[in-house]
Amino acid sequence: MDGSSSGIQEPFDLIRLSLSERVFVKLRGDREMTGILHAYDGHMNLILSDVEETIMIVNEGEQATVNVAKRKMDMLFVRGDGVILVSPPSRT
Amino acid sequence: MSFFGFEERTLERGKDRRSEQDEDLAVYTWGEENYDGLGDALQEDHDDLNDETFGAAGELGKDFDFSNQALPDRNNFTRSANAIVEDRPPQSSTPLTLESIWDDKSPFSLRLNGSNRTQLPRGESPAISSQHRQQSGIRTLQEIEAEMRVSADQSRQEALLQQRQQQYYLEQQRLQQQQQKQREEEELLLRQEEEREFQRQRLLYQQEQAQQLHLQRFQQQQQLLQQREQHQHRRTPPPRMLPVSQSPRFMEHQQRQILLLQHQQEQQQLLRLQQLQEQLRVEELERQLRSQHISSVTPDRQPSGPTLADMEALQHQQLRQQSQSPATRSGPHRPAPLEDSLPYLPQSIQLQQRLLSEMAQAEFLREMQGLSQADQEALRVEAMRKILEAEKMEEKRRRKAAKIAHMSRYNDLMTQSDKDFITRIQVSQLVSQDPYADDFYAQVYGAIVRSRMGLSADDERVLKFGASGGVALGAPTKGGNRRPNAMQRMQQQVERIVSNARKREEEKGLHSLHSLQGALGKTSGRSYKAAPRQLLQVDSNSAPSSSPTLSHAQPHAHISKADSISKSSSEAAANAARIGRETLDNGETLVRMEPLTQREILVTLENMYDLVLNVEQLRRDQPHPEDGEEVLEQWSQDFDKLVDQMWTQLKVMLPLATSTPHPFISLLSAAKGKKILPRVTRHFDQQRMNTLLTLLIACFSQLDIISHAALLDTLEDTPERADVERQTQAFLSSVLQSILPIIVKGNLRLVCGLVGLLMHGQDIVAIAKSRPGLALLTLFLTRVEVIKEGEVDEIPTQEDFAQWQLMFDHLFQLLTPEFPLLFPSTRMAEHLPRDQPHINIPGIDSLDQPVWQFLAALALQASSTQHQILVSSLREKVLDNVLSAKRGWVVDEEDRSTKLANVDLFLHALGLDSSQITM
Repeated sequence: MDGSSSGIQEPFDLIRLSLSERVFVKLRGDREMTGILHAYDGHMNLILSDVEETIMIVNEGEQATVNVAKRKMDMLFVRGDGVILVSPPSRT
Repeated sequence: MSFFGFEERTLERGKDRRSEQDEDLAVYTWGEENYDGLGDALQEDHDDLNDETFGAAGELGKDFDFSNQALPDRNNFTRSANAIVEDRPPQSSTPLTLESIWDDKSPFSLRLNGSNRTQLPRGESPAISSQHRQQSGIRTLQEIEAEMRVSADQSRQEALLQQRQQQYYLEQQRLQQQQQKQREEEELLLRQEEEREFQRQRLLYQQEQAQQLHLQRFQQQQQLLQQREQHQHRRTPPPRMLPVSQSPRFMEHQQRQILLLQHQQEQQQLLRLQQLQEQLRVEELERQLRSQHISSVTPDRQPSGPTLADMEALQHQQLRQQSQSPATRSGPHRPAPLEDSLPYLPQSIQLQQRLLSEMAQAEFLREMQGLSQADQEALRVEAMRKILEAEKMEEKRRRKAAKIAHMSRYNDLMTQSDKDFITRIQVSQLVSQDPYADDFYAQVYGAIVRSRMGLSADDERVLKFGASGGVALGAPTKGGNRRPNAMQRMQQQVERIVSNARKREEEKGLHSLHSLQGALGKTSGRSYKAAPRQLLQVDSNSAPSSSPTLSHAQPHAHISKADSISKSSSEAAANAARIGRETLDNGETLVRMEPLTQREILVTLENMYDLVLNVEQLRRDQPHPEDGEEVLEQWSQDFDKLVDQMWTQLKVMLPLATSTPHPFISLLSAAKGKKILPRVTRHFDQQRMNTLLTLLIACFSQLDIISHAALLDTLEDTPERADVERQTQAFLSSVLQSILPIIVKGNLRLVCGLVGLLMHGQDIVAIAKSRPGLALLTLFLTRVEVIKEGEVDEIPTQEDFAQWQLMFDHLFQLLTPEFPLLFPSTRMAEHLPRDQPHINIPGIDSLDQPVWQFLAALALQASSTQHQILVSSLREKVLDNVLSAKRGWVVDEEDRSTKLANVDLFLHALGLDSSQITM
């Protein structure tokens, strides 16, 4: 199955495959989230539902520690300029 | 410079710039009737230096000194006839006689024929003018002008004074009328009691006093108003984009001119009356002044009283007051020139009068003790209320009028063509090649709304223009009478745009680029091909698995083969047939495939969605029967082709043993795969649906929702559990919904076969422990019940019944040990902590409900021995429910009734009731 027969011509087509699937999104500012992708656009703005956001809070100091904060949201609009990567969640 | 509002001095100053002046003056209608005669007042006596310039010598000799430039440039003079008046050449040295000056067609001389002039010397006293000519040729014009100016000034002054008086009189009348009205109102109030008669007179006396006060005040107000008016007119006009002749302001100007004309005609009549005595006086004056120089009577040095300019300004003010509002343009004969100022007057008057009347009433009440206090009070209150009401109404009306006036400032600022232009610009943004798709969500929403309202969901809100495109109209709006009109106009606009665009396209086609090709010389033809040399040459077709995006996807060559199979339906069908044959011969050799990867599933589903959207679009584009056979034929061919593609993509025809799970089941593992199924199956025929259903049932235990169903019985809320829940919901609402119509219509043989398939090689217990599986089984059982009751067209044979009985017994037997475990509550209870087994799980009874339903359906089919088995195995569960309901181990009343209803559902099928159970 090559690119033409699967309809994949550009990177965004790969994101298209994940529509209405759960995706993992890495964001700037040490944030990550997983959610069901409902829509996206050319700016990588995303509409996610059933989102769990993970925020890494790095404490600078002699002993640098990382605190993890999590929160859940039913529906979320993610502005594209913060998106670093979008991927299917790792299947275990 | 405002039209007619300028003062004479401006004109005079502007005379040096004569060319400009001519332009401006060209606006005025020289020589026509409505010429206002302003030009008459011009001071044009630049003759003072004539003698110095031309030499005072009376006689001219024949010895002209041609080299000397003593005289002004004669060429310049003769070149433009218009220059005559200014140059003022000595008559003796010009070929022009006085007569020719009179007849001169230059604007300044034409003025002599102006409206005000028609009555003046020319026709009526030729003797005088000829006399003047005889006496002193040069001074004649001057003198006449001076005379005329004087007379015009005087008459105008008089006319103005008259007019002012008239106006004043009118205003007084108006005031009196208003007060009369007020008085009448009060009369109404007062007439009720005779005793008030004398009081009224007293009141009237007071009012008259007040009236005089008002008059004074009114005069002040008038002055203020005039100032305000002037101020208003100094405002800059709104910007306009139009030539003067189209602008509404120009219209206004014309209107004003007409008004001016009427005004002048009235004035003229007055003038004419005064003309004769005036004439006499002028002659007298002339005789007296002949010895003196008349230039002392220029308008600049007018001795006393308002100057002409002042008077004119006043006149214009009045005129403006008349013509101020565009709304009144249609009616130039306005009887009340001061109506604009009215809203400001009655308020104060009303207020004062109200106060007066109140005072009067109070006094009256004090004096008239005969009347009952309550009556008077009631009367007073009533009167007050009425007055207040009237005032409120008046206030409202005034505010409304002010608002309208405020808005009407911009009336007719844009012409229809302007509006059309802007609409065109706006609408041109909306035209698209595929109006339906561009407006997709609004269209779908509109269809839903329409179907909800019970209208036909067919008509699309799209304007179409042949094949070239159209405009989407969005969702329908409710009501609105402005809308259809706007829609119509927009349609016309768009049609025009589209036709224009087509025309342009055609023109482009005619003068195509070819005519210009090579016009600027030839290019070498190589430079633009100088792309970087390709280092790698990869044939994308020959090595599909080498595609970077798919490097991990399939290590096996036969998968890509299978994919290529799916490219065309004929190939696929042939292949399927071949595979089927080979399976019969030797199942081991070819057929086994790896199950579809997640990626393949998603890619296939995306293709599927594309196909579905295309098919749906095609259905919307279904041609009408009158479009002709060929079109219909073509359309149905296209449609069938797309449906065939969908069928192939679903991979239903691949043999059962192709892989585990079957590719079709794999497609259903994604939520969007489940959700697309109803949209796909809608286009399939009965045959294909039967095949699909058979495959689904045969592979039912492979479904993700069955294999992961156990997760739903856990109590903790994990993401995985949530995901299974989501998938289960999607399956119930989409997949079961799409196969429901087949089962509901299926005969006993079909149901029998399907139940057999469920039990053949599949874990029926696992299926029955899942919500979708249980729902499916319930569906089969109820269908059989319906068939047994004979509510079907096709009466099943005895053999079929026997077959079904076998199937049912087998099913019953398989499920018997698991009956209590069918309940989610029982399964969940196993996960509960040991020490508190009776904890209430919220919503557990509604989860149990489908199980009770299934058991009820089972009980209906079962024999009496089977009934006993059912009761004995479920006895504990039933008792548990009834006990907790009756002993009050429930959260609330709703919980209790659900428990009982669930139990009764089952017991009723056995012919029992929960009330028969006693503890």
